[in-house]
Amino acid sequence: MKNSFKLLSAALIATASLYGYAQAETVLRLDESPVGELDPAKASDYADSILMFNVYDALVIPKQGQPGYDPYLATGWEIDGTAYTFKLRDDIKFQSGYPLTADDVVFSLERMKALGAGLSYLFTKVEKVEAIDATTVKFTLAEQDAPFISALTRLPIVDKKLVLENLGDGEGDMKDWGQAYLSGHAAGSGAYKVVSHNPQEETAMAKNAGYFLGVPPKAPDTVRLRYGLEAATVRTLISQGQHEISSQWLPPEVLKSLAASGAQLLTERGTSGFYVKMNTTKAPFDDVECRLAVSYAFDYNAAVKIVAVNDTISQGSAATGPIPVGMMGALPADQTLAQDLDKAKEHLAKCKYKPEDIKMDISWIGEVPLEERFALLMQANFSQLGIKANVKKMPWALFSEQVTKAENTPEISQVFVNTMTGDPDTLLYSMYHSTAAGTWMSPEHLKDPEVDALLDKGRETTDEAERAKIYQELGLKLKSISPSIYGQDQISVFAASPKVSVPALTDPAKAFPLAAFGFTFRLMEMNE
Amino acid sequence: MFPVLHLLAKKLGTSLIVLFGVSLLIFAIARIIPGDPARIALGPNATAEAVEALRVRLHLDAPFIEQYGYFIGNLLRGDLGISLYTNRPVTADIAQFLPATLELVIVSGIMMVLLGVPLGVLSARFRGTVVDHVIRLITLLGVSAPGFVWAVILMLVFAYYLPIFPIAGRIADSFTIAPVTGFLLLDTLLAGRPDAFVDALSHLILPAFALALSGIGQAARLVRSNMVETYDKPYIEMAQAYGFPEKRISRKYAFRPSMIPSLTIIGLDFAAMLGNAFLIEAVYAWPGLSRYGVAVVLRKDLNAIIGTVLIISAMFLIVNLVVDLLVSVINPKIRLARGKA
Repeated sequence: MKNSFKLLSAALIATASLYGYAQAETVLRLDESPVGELDPAKASDYADSILMFNVYDALVIPKQGQPGYDPYLATGWEIDGTAYTFKLRDDIKFQSGYPLTADDVVFSLERMKALGAGLSYLFTKVEKVEAIDATTVKFTLAEQDAPFISALTRLPIVDKKLVLENLGDGEGDMKDWGQAYLSGHAAGSGAYKVVSHNPQEETAMAKNAGYFLGVPPKAPDTVRLRYGLEAATVRTLISQGQHEISSQWLPPEVLKSLAASGAQLLTERGTSGFYVKMNTTKAPFDDVECRLAVSYAFDYNAAVKIVAVNDTISQGSAATGPIPVGMMGALPADQTLAQDLDKAKEHLAKCKYKPEDIKMDISWIGEVPLEERFALLMQANFSQLGIKANVKKMPWALFSEQVTKAENTPEISQVFVNTMTGDPDTLLYSMYHSTAAGTWMSPEHLKDPEVDALLDKGRETTDEAERAKIYQELGLKLKSISPSIYGQDQISVFAASPKVSVPALTDPAKAFPLAAFGFTFRLMEMNE
Repeated sequence: MFPVLHLLAKKLGTSLIVLFGVSLLIFAIARIIPGDPARIALGPNATAEAVEALRVRLHLDAPFIEQYGYFIGNLLRGDLGISLYTNRPVTADIAQFLPATLELVIVSGIMMVLLGVPLGVLSARFRGTVVDHVIRLITLLGVSAPGFVWAVILMLVFAYYLPIFPIAGRIADSFTIAPVTGFLLLDTLLAGRPDAFVDALSHLILPAFALALSGIGQAARLVRSNMVETYDKPYIEMAQAYGFPEKRISRKYAFRPSMIPSLTIIGLDFAAMLGNAFLIEAVYAWPGLSRYGVAVVLRKDLNAIIGTVLIISAMFLIVNLVVDLLVSVINPKIRLARGKA
């Protein structure tokens, strides 16, 4: 009897231990460049986007595996000219417990526009936003704006009541619009709550048990988003099983080494490109023939090899034009750009500047060491045309100031640009429209009426098939005048532990055509 | 006692003047660094109106003297402004990051003294022997390679190949310790968590040693060099002739006078670690002031740049003051001369 009792007790204890083990909390640790901006009205970088997409929700989300958008907080919408009316779900609560209503949507947009920071430029065409009733919100635009639906993926809905309870010092009724509060606390409805936040160090998040769609059991219970980890540190942490997903900024050699020791490589593509920008207001690139010459002289294959991780994965792929392959309006994938020195020389012969007289600076951003490799590649490529170029390192702060004036902008700059909404308008308009000249995205200072007209048409046309044709036409036009060298389509590559599955970053059918949306933690699975 | 107080008061007075000068200098330099702080803070696509509004709020549209006046006025109220980098008061950032760096630097400083000075003494005492040569080789390695190189090597050896120490951070994620002083070693003890204390200490060892290595090398070489010079003095020869034990000669007659010049340099090294800790903090993901300082300079976060530089300058001045006081304690000539005066 005593022995049976002992055996039974042991069995019960063992079972309880196993159950406890099965229920152990799962932790996902990942890193990105600092800072992590928690205030959704100020978010603009990758880390900010990861926070935004998990702590907050928007009216719409991008479709998986294809272009287009699905309702999310909304159940649907109607478009009547310049008026967009959305019906909201009536079963959503913020993490504070307050219900999400149309008033919160109105407040979120008004706050975004009042602060004028981050991605507020996406909503400059919104003339009025009003709550028709608790679950109906109407946006009235000043004019037709086809990218508006895509822009709404970047309007996180903020808990108005909570923010008004926590206003800081400032002028007027809205004082600081809750900036001091939201820079350290969340006021969203998202699948993950913020447990602690230090913008330079780490943001810790935990599942929101009350999420309206539920959070699957296999999704990570806790997420720690760390900022500013060095490559050597990440390499060591992942190898030791103390970190699950790296940032996209690891050098290809480190990614290769991690892959060789068992890490999986996750990829995100079709949302950003690497652009070599030519200042079209200064010699020699005020002459289109010189621009075409260097565009043909650039060794596109070598550029892809520079960022190759292994035989099958690279941090870049050959571009076909200004729009990355996979995005609406991209030129056909079999029309990749290639070096052609004969054509380069042909165009150079037509250029009004002689190669020996050409002086140019190829600048690279100091905070992006990879760009130095591309700068050196260009220096070698252009020397084949008899052009001597200087490679010049520039800190970001200096670069972003100098490009505001055409005369101070370097002859050649390099930037990685991604579409903040998945729509080609947010990629191309800020780069090539004459009204957008003089920012880090537009050091070309391009002023071309045909390009302007096509960009404006792309905004006004609401039919998606028509828009695709317009952007293809625009792509061909931009190739013909070549204000930029379309270096490559950027592929963000992340090293990850086998402990985590991220379908959105491994299965093209589940990929989101919006940068950072693949980091929706709710859709990940921890394999422990 | 009074000569020491007199020295203290004099040093405090000059320190305030130095700090004022530093604040003016860094205020001017921060405004010369390229970049528009308002544009950088709001993001590259912020509207021109928003950028201009922020510039007005930061008084960047005012003349330099007026801007400095606002700054001094706020400083006297203990307000260093808001960091455009973290969107928090700079004082809050400093309060959070400074203890982490101070903890790292203090432990590094202790290592520097406890390892560097005895190595120098041993090397001097056994000068010309195998012991001396080995110690000199070790100290040469310490001063010849930059700290961040040692940081990566130490991480690879002791956290990767031989996983004895943690790789990064200040404490394991499993511990939640309420911040009281900001010094984790203290806070874990105050929380009554010896397990957390041991964990925090283990996180501190590698970064502190990496930071201290060059200082250990320098301290050892300085102490050796000064002691060797002292050993040649006639009174040492006299002590040896009288048959005093070698240990007593080394400790009492050779070491103490040698420490006076060494102490000043060691003190400067200690203060310099505050700013030089950046790369160590970067490698070990140590959330300290040095790393914060570099980040705010790159982002032209004016308030944070000035706050960080002022704090580091103040630390330098405090360390110099302590070193001067220690020197006056070690060197009776200074105390007696001041007493007569």
